[in-house]
Amino acid sequence: MYGRGIYALRDVSLVVEKGEFVFLTGPSGAGKSTLLRLLLRQELPTEGTVRVAGRDLAKLTPSQAQSYRRAVGFVFQDFKLIPSKTVLDNVGLVPRVLGATSVQQQRRTFQVLKWLGLQHRMSAYPLELSGGEQQRVAIARALVNEPALILADEPTGNLDPDLSLEIMNLLRDINARGTTVLVATHNRELMRHVGRRSITLDHGHLVETA
Amino acid sequence: MAHWFAYCFGEALASLWRQKVSVILSVLTIGAALLVLGGFLLVTVNLERAVSRWSAAAEFSVYLSDDISPEQRVALNMLLGSHPAVASREYVSKADAALRFRRDFPDLAAGLADMPQNPLPASIEVRLNPARADGATLEAFAKQLMQTAGVADVRFDRRWLERLGQLASIVRWAGWILGAVLLVASVLTVATVVRLALHARRDEVDIMQLMGAPIGLLRGPLVVEGILQGGAGSLVALVALYAGFVLVRGRILSVLGPAFEQAAVGFLPAGLSALLVLVGMAVGCAGGYLAARHVR
Repeated sequence: MYGRGIYALRDVSLVVEKGEFVFLTGPSGAGKSTLLRLLLRQELPTEGTVRVAGRDLAKLTPSQAQSYRRAVGFVFQDFKLIPSKTVLDNVGLVPRVLGATSVQQQRRTFQVLKWLGLQHRMSAYPLELSGGEQQRVAIARALVNEPALILADEPTGNLDPDLSLEIMNLLRDINARGTTVLVATHNRELMRHVGRRSITLDHGHLVETA
Repeated sequence: MAHWFAYCFGEALASLWRQKVSVILSVLTIGAALLVLGGFLLVTVNLERAVSRWSAAAEFSVYLSDDISPEQRVALNMLLGSHPAVASREYVSKADAALRFRRDFPDLAAGLADMPQNPLPASIEVRLNPARADGATLEAFAKQLMQTAGVADVRFDRRWLERLGQLASIVRWAGWILGAVLLVASVLTVATVVRLALHARRDEVDIMQLMGAPIGLLRGPLVVEGILQGGAGSLVALVALYAGFVLVRGRILSVLGPAFEQAAVGFLPAGLSALLVLVGMAVGCAGGYLAARHVR
């Protein structure tokens, strides 16, 4: 609930199974992004609980919350890349600074970049990349820690239809490898193309599961 | 840990470079504060050096009555020889005193020659041991000498040295107080500049938080940025202080003349210079930390 008694989400109860691919849809202001922010622990619920893998996110200590975030991949419409860092740094900065310099970690970073077709763009800066490339870098960053859960908020919102399809296929491939994927989108055509469970929100309420 | 430090330094240097102008102003502010503090320290150190040198050379002059008997002289010598504050002593006869007078005051020498007899008293010049010659002991010893038979007067040049020592202490405290006020202002300046840097990097910090970066990784570069500003400010202060010292030293020596020997006027010792740099870095660190607290 926000101030002045306005609810961003109310009476929403849903379960996403491990390994599922779920779309969150609904009009602007329906509460899709708020739900993802709750799952990323950017916000805490004023009522109720949000559990991921059995853990109540509100009860995490700050250091546990940081560890949790390192185990969750996120992809945003505006990519959220650090413009002053190269592709390689954007993907592997935090694990590397935290001392994960093992050969395995490096190999994993290169593997992910190669899988996403970015191996030749590792030294480029985000602003030197196309929108599709930037979103693939964001997906690479989300994947590099081999997360059990990926949260994507309008990941194709800034991309043309072909690139949108490409990104959605990537997310589907990621899900096929066992990662749970939650995608908030308006794009019904893409939802039809991927053909997975969708949850519709409206004015903060869960109105349909299909 | 090495990656952590490398990251913090890299980010801090990049940030300093990005906002050069405000960083230069901040460095100059710290430099000005430390220059004031360093200036007071420099004056204090040199005053203390002078007091110490003059103290080492300090002496009693014990003037003898013309009618002092040989027994009284022996007793006086025994008293002087047994006191721990006495390092050495030299007897100056009436004839030697007249010789010194004629040498030091040649214009007045004729007046002395016209006198029917030499009016200058014989004396014993007592050189003191600075390690054993504290003010209270000497005061008591001077009184004891004054009451000794055969002693006409005792000249004791310790009191003004003590006053000079007290003056050095006052100057030092004034320096610390004024320096502390200016350093607090410097802390706030650094905090403001680092907060501006944080504001410019807000998106980056938000993204890093989403990536699960620990709070230390987000705050570290800001604190290092403050430390680097403080360190640079203190180096600026030291260079300016040294330049000022070189310029002023010659003038001081020419005005004060033989009271200050060339070797006695010196720059801050290495330890104090290092302390000044450390103070600058601590000021920067405090400013950086104040700004970094806004990252939660």
